[in-house]
Amino acid sequence: MSSPFDIRTSSASKGETLFDTLKNLEAMQADLFVVRHSAGGAPFFIADRVTPNIAVINAGDGTHAHPTQALLDLMTIRKHKGDPANLSVAIVGDLKHSRVARSLIHGLRGMGCPDIRAIGPGTLLPGDLGHLGVQSFNRIEDGLNGVDVVVLLRLQKERMSSALLPSEREFFNLFGMTESRLQLANDNAIVMHPGPINRGVEIANEVADGPQAVILDQVTNGIAIRMAVMAMTLSTQQESQS
Amino acid sequence: MSVVIRNVRILSPNSSLHQATEIGIEKGLFVDPTTIKDAQVVDGQGGLLIPGLIDCRVNLREPGLEHKGTIASETRAAIAGGVTSVVATPTTDPVVDSPADVRLVLERAKASGLCRVLPTAMLTQGGEGHHLSEMAALVDAGCVALAQGNRPFGSRKIELNALKYAQSLGVGVILDSEDSDFAGGCAHAGQIGTGLGLSLNPPLSETLGLGADLDLVEATGVNAHFSRITTKNSVERIKAAKARGLQITCDVTIAHLIYSEHALVNLDPNFHLERPLRTEEDRRALIAGVIDGTIDVIVSDHSPHEPGAKLAPFPETDQGMSMSEGMIQSLIELDKQGELPLENSLDAMTVRAARLINRTDLGCIQYGNSADCVLIDPDDQTHFDPTMWLSAGANSPLLGKTLPGRVLGTWIGGQHFLR
Repeated sequence: MSSPFDIRTSSASKGETLFDTLKNLEAMQADLFVVRHSAGGAPFFIADRVTPNIAVINAGDGTHAHPTQALLDLMTIRKHKGDPANLSVAIVGDLKHSRVARSLIHGLRGMGCPDIRAIGPGTLLPGDLGHLGVQSFNRIEDGLNGVDVVVLLRLQKERMSSALLPSEREFFNLFGMTESRLQLANDNAIVMHPGPINRGVEIANEVADGPQAVILDQVTNGIAIRMAVMAMTLSTQQESQS
Repeated sequence: MSVVIRNVRILSPNSSLHQATEIGIEKGLFVDPTTIKDAQVVDGQGGLLIPGLIDCRVNLREPGLEHKGTIASETRAAIAGGVTSVVATPTTDPVVDSPADVRLVLERAKASGLCRVLPTAMLTQGGEGHHLSEMAALVDAGCVALAQGNRPFGSRKIELNALKYAQSLGVGVILDSEDSDFAGGCAHAGQIGTGLGLSLNPPLSETLGLGADLDLVEATGVNAHFSRITTKNSVERIKAAKARGLQITCDVTIAHLIYSEHALVNLDPNFHLERPLRTEEDRRALIAGVIDGTIDVIVSDHSPHEPGAKLAPFPETDQGMSMSEGMIQSLIELDKQGELPLENSLDAMTVRAARLINRTDLGCIQYGNSADCVLIDPDDQTHFDPTMWLSAGANSPLLGKTLPGRVLGTWIGGQHFLR
């Protein structure tokens, strides 16, 4: 049905355009494309141009979107904390470069979450989060107060070289999720992370391995979500053909 | 052949013939129709007769980028949009930086025999921003101004020297104000670009550049034209600088008058521009700037591309849209939507544009001027059918759309063109 396709060894590194890669995969009679691409909007570009019997799933495009991650995050939140319409959710770290955060914000809003917060330094928070219904905090102590869900984002090393942050150490000192900070959140608040985690950067060891972390449960839920998304998109495609 | 165009309504800002109903053309010039004998009579069928539009920023792509467009294809497209004179950018490949390049552009234009082509050349050799080009020779060869296009100067010191030298020769310069550190993002740093996770171009990229350029222009006294301003802040700064007495002018692209950042929501690569579409508030400030005269001229910034240049995800596509072919129709639409009165937009693309390029014989239907005019039926419409598209660049949001206004005929130096 599908085979993994690595861009590093594919024709893209030989100068083939995305459009031609697409046409070749189409000619191989694929039923489903799972697309991860550095350019925002690439899956839409593909979906607009493949024959309609091929399903296209966005597995992360640039800093735009990562819909299945958001779905598995929502599933995890629902399982542990119930209806997002009654919850406060804080997203901590590099929202500016995060497709995970953008998709999760859309998902949470869609499910009626009334209180979505972004926590991070000015250099890592987009300026226009208000339009997305998100409240911004530069001090983690202010933002964590009374939340039910804490979502940590992975910090990339290149944020230091592009002068957005002085060091990982300073990030951890200001925004790292420690046990004492977690106590500012509601009792039994859950801690999430899309992985892979950087211990001592986004999250302290005792939190990562503690009872409130549901990070590995997210991974497990991801299997079910992605199976469901593939099954639903493929069956929709087959229905539309029959 | 002498011609009399009758049964029209002349719409020519600043002309004593404004609202007149007929005009004569003889030996390439407008003349009093009552003085002509044995003229061919053209019935204008009650249409509007306007001065041919002067488009002060067009990428004709020759030499070197013929796969994107040619002087012949793009000037033909311009005529279909009511344009009779185009100012050609020098950012070709190689760039226009020698008298031979200027002559090549002029000869190709002459061979095409279509609309007037007014070349510009680079302020620096190779456009690389380090050595001054031979400005006097370039002007002798026929350049109407010198520009640096989208290429940065090597340093502010070199820019200062280029402006000082141009000023001492009495040559006007065209500046694309942008801070190169902030340039390059593919969307305005606002709610749409943030939501789509695109690389962002903040208004600061323009205002930092504009602030520095204004200081350099003031220090040198050069006649400077600021091209493609996009923000409310820039309009305010230019207004203030003009009030201080600086001899400056500026332009806005038609795209920035029609569209805002919201045009990007479907990631249509046609809206991937060198200068991003900004907020609705900016768009309204730009329109107000055209109306109150802070913004002198409207340009197409016509940028045709080969199909492959836009056949990729939005951030990876080439920048620019093909717009010449719908200029007058776009102006009529802005008028009909109550956004920008045609008399203001026409003034910007005729009288003020002619002043910018020092061509008092253009941009005005007046006895003795070059007979460049366009006959329009404002109540009919133009459908931009892909099979009838003239520009080599199909990268246009106009394609498939229908806009008000229809060009019935065009005269350039008295020569008659039908579509």
